[in-house]
Amino acid sequence: MKRRMVRLLTDALTLALGFVVVFPILYGLMGAFKSPAEFAAQPPTVLPRSFSYTDNFAFVLRTVPLLRYFFNSLTVAVLISTVRLLAALLAAYAFVYFEFPGRGLLFMLVLATMMLPGDTMTVTNYQTVSRLGLLNTYLGMSITSFVGASQMFMLRQNFKTMPTAIREAAILDGCGDLRYLFFILTPLSRPVLVTLFVQSFIGAWNTYLWPLMVTSHDEMRTVQVGITMLTSVEGTNYETVLAGVMLSLIPALFVFLFLRRGISKAMTAGSLVG
Amino acid sequence: MKKLSALFVILTLVFSLSAGVLAETPVTRIVFWHSMNEEAGVLLEKYVKDFNDTVGAQLGIEAEAVYQGSYAQATQKLNAILQAGNFAELPDVMQMDATGKVAYFTSGKAYTVDDLLRDKPDTDVSGLLGAAMGNWNYTGVQLGVPFATSTTVTYYNKTVLGEAAPETFADISAVTAPEGTVVYATVPNTTTLANWLGQLGSYVVNNKNGSEGSADELACIENGALETFLTEWKALYQSGALQNYAGSTDEFVAGKLLIMTSSSSKVTSLLASIGGSFELGVSVYPKVNADAAFGATVSGSCLVMFDTGKQEAAWALENYLTSADVQADFAVGTGYIPSNSGALETEAWKQLVAAQPAYNVGLEQLMATPADMRSVTVGPSADFYYAIQDCVSEMLDSDLTPEETVEMMEDELGGLLTQYAMANP
Amino acid sequence: MKKTMAQRLKPYLFLMPMLVFAAGFVYYPFFKTFLYSFSRVNARGDILGFVGLQNFTYLFSRREFSAALGNTLRLAVINVPVTVALTMFLALLCTRKRGISAAAETMFALPMAIAMSAVALIFKVLLNPTVGYVNHLFGLTVGWYRDKNTALSGIILLTVWMGIGFNFLLFLSAFRGVPDQLIESARLDGAGGAAVFFFIRFPLITPTLLYVVCTNMVQALMTSGPVMILTQGGPSRSTTTLIYMMYTSGYGSSNYSLAACVVLVTFALTLVCTLLAFAAERKKVHYQ
Repeated sequence: MKRRMVRLLTDALTLALGFVVVFPILYGLMGAFKSPAEFAAQPPTVLPRSFSYTDNFAFVLRTVPLLRYFFNSLTVAVLISTVRLLAALLAAYAFVYFEFPGRGLLFMLVLATMMLPGDTMTVTNYQTVSRLGLLNTYLGMSITSFVGASQMFMLRQNFKTMPTAIREAAILDGCGDLRYLFFILTPLSRPVLVTLFVQSFIGAWNTYLWPLMVTSHDEMRTVQVGITMLTSVEGTNYETVLAGVMLSLIPALFVFLFLRRGISKAMTAGSLVG
Repeated sequence: MKKLSALFVILTLVFSLSAGVLAETPVTRIVFWHSMNEEAGVLLEKYVKDFNDTVGAQLGIEAEAVYQGSYAQATQKLNAILQAGNFAELPDVMQMDATGKVAYFTSGKAYTVDDLLRDKPDTDVSGLLGAAMGNWNYTGVQLGVPFATSTTVTYYNKTVLGEAAPETFADISAVTAPEGTVVYATVPNTTTLANWLGQLGSYVVNNKNGSEGSADELACIENGALETFLTEWKALYQSGALQNYAGSTDEFVAGKLLIMTSSSSKVTSLLASIGGSFELGVSVYPKVNADAAFGATVSGSCLVMFDTGKQEAAWALENYLTSADVQADFAVGTGYIPSNSGALETEAWKQLVAAQPAYNVGLEQLMATPADMRSVTVGPSADFYYAIQDCVSEMLDSDLTPEETVEMMEDELGGLLTQYAMANP
Repeated sequence: MKKTMAQRLKPYLFLMPMLVFAAGFVYYPFFKTFLYSFSRVNARGDILGFVGLQNFTYLFSRREFSAALGNTLRLAVINVPVTVALTMFLALLCTRKRGISAAAETMFALPMAIAMSAVALIFKVLLNPTVGYVNHLFGLTVGWYRDKNTALSGIILLTVWMGIGFNFLLFLSAFRGVPDQLIESARLDGAGGAAVFFFIRFPLITPTLLYVVCTNMVQALMTSGPVMILTQGGPSRSTTTLIYMMYTSGYGSSNYSLAACVVLVTFALTLVCTLLAFAAERKKVHYQ
């Protein structure tokens, strides 16, 4: 009986804390239905007077090419995650299965990039990307994120757990390295790859500083940059900003709610840590 | 996953190709970077659309307005492009405030009004308001034309303070705030310091606040103006009327802040958001002390052109945006001072001022301010701005004497100027 | 068997994409940053000459730098333990699978799906002293992002919230990975809840802990986005961070050598953190 009470209380506490965590999002959603006057009224409230006031959403959709922003964000995130994983796969393969002069040194060189976070290189990378003529292009928005040392490291760890007998047998059968990598090793490493892809994707989807730097055309902005253009530090158009924010969250939330179980499964299976 | 990536490579190609095709139409397309948001942003985008439908349609010009964030953010973008030397990314027209002046002037790609007058001597800019034009003159070169002109004014809560506006710091300190309200809250920055030092007959930096040549030292130390100002500022703080933070529009609208010094461009939005909850007073900028001169510098922004080969189209847009009708409409919609004297003759403006004299305060102040009071132009504009705020605010927080603060400002602000001068001779 | 040329080249071809990206976008910019920090650089990014340590002396003399360094360290030192303790607690609450598991896990993982700029804009409203709900709810009169004494706390609140989702999932899978038999047998030996946590669960999840601490530390040291969106470093520099200072010194004031010096300082800090974490790992961390 006492144990049941404790369990019930734990459940209640868990859900209450969950509500606190989610609250900012709910608050934003409610605020998006308020009129400017409602927002200015004292005391502040959470709930709007009604959910029929949709001018804010209409205003955002009228003034901002939100769909285009989504497409840009998606393209950049997929481009980054894909190229990064491809490069990491190839490099991890070389480090695990090939013997060659300079292997140790090159391995350290790749790993050491982890100690040089991308944001610190903004100024000089901007020069490079600009000179390559890549400002306002998808490639320019993603190219600086293609290095994935930690992804390479995880894949290397993963490859090392694979029995070498499979590879030897495959190579004897005349299977080339690339074919072995992409048709045998890659499917075997699926859980890790999914985890790394999701991780990269989320990171890339959420970046702010770099896409802000390299885009000056409205139609090339990502969602993250685009919605901040709805206001300024001093701005007081809270209701329109919230409407924009809520609209901007739709795809991510949609993906999240449908894929969450898969993601956490992949995270457990992918032995991301340890 | 491979299918997906292949799909994206294809999509990316399609997009880049279609972008290329679009660019090949015979119409001259110009890019216009602006920094107007909220109501002013909506209006500006509307004017650009109107331009495209009327003048632009006749001349074969299509302008695209792109919001680039605040003036400071737009200037950062400009600096980034200049630093990387990627001039192809420059816009044709840019709305710029004082933070961008030096970057623009030294860019090597500036196409100033002087250049325009040389190439097209029949260009007429005489309709533009002289005081506003002067603000965009740097070392004798007319950089651009004023678009959103404003000046700093005093907004006050008449319902609590009564009819009479506070005119000096002493008037402000005499106010007793009702429970739960703050009399005045602000932290001086480049603009407001230029105003208050200007009233004391001093510039902030040399070369007439950097308007006649690149500024490399402070001009308010030896004449004692900075110390006088800081002494008065500290006294105001000690009276309890001043709070050491930047008071916000929300607080003012909510009746929690009684006096706010801010851009004259806020009249329309303030009237709308206050509604009937109290009576809004608008008055001239407060004076440091009774001996100080009257006035406040011009602020706001101008439109500049770049040497992109499309200057003719760019000027057509600038000319349209600074025309009497557009300027009058902009003034009605926001509270900005019309930058075109012709706008003052329009029915729209006359009716506006007759119905709501608050709109006229900024203009009157601008006209009455001596031409010698100039806004500040320095290379490291953003850091300069924050350094002023930081030092003055530190004086009140750490209870430094005005002399100590002057010394600190000499180090901090002077350091910024000398570093910039050394790197950019 | 003698290797053909192609065979000898193959490893390098496999490594090429990675090495090209690393050279072009990590090592080259790093080298250039290094060069800039010892040179005088003009507004056009041209190097005018070598100045030795002058840029560093100037940097260290600036009030903005001490503010940026202090804020960044404060951010990291507060943010990381708070995030770790909080997400670990939430993960513990959720470890046992039960009816509310799906709902609770979804709620705690949700911040992961919310982009920084989106949540920053929500917090801007939520913590607005006049129209925001937080002050009203708790009867506070805090200025949050407008008051220099609380602005950094507001930023930390935001970064903690942003870190909840991912770290929660990491800890949750780590806790769930602890074998049930271990816990059961400890319970049979009379161990209470606290003992089970400190002697069994906690030691077993130290690899995850280390990973979370490391990544969060580096992330915290890199904070700039929320500052750009919410406060622009203000009021009175109370929220200026190192990366934000890099950005404004560079693109705001065209002092690219100063920006480069800031980068090197930031880099040194992240290096120290990473090395400390590695050292800790060698000593204490338990591996199964």
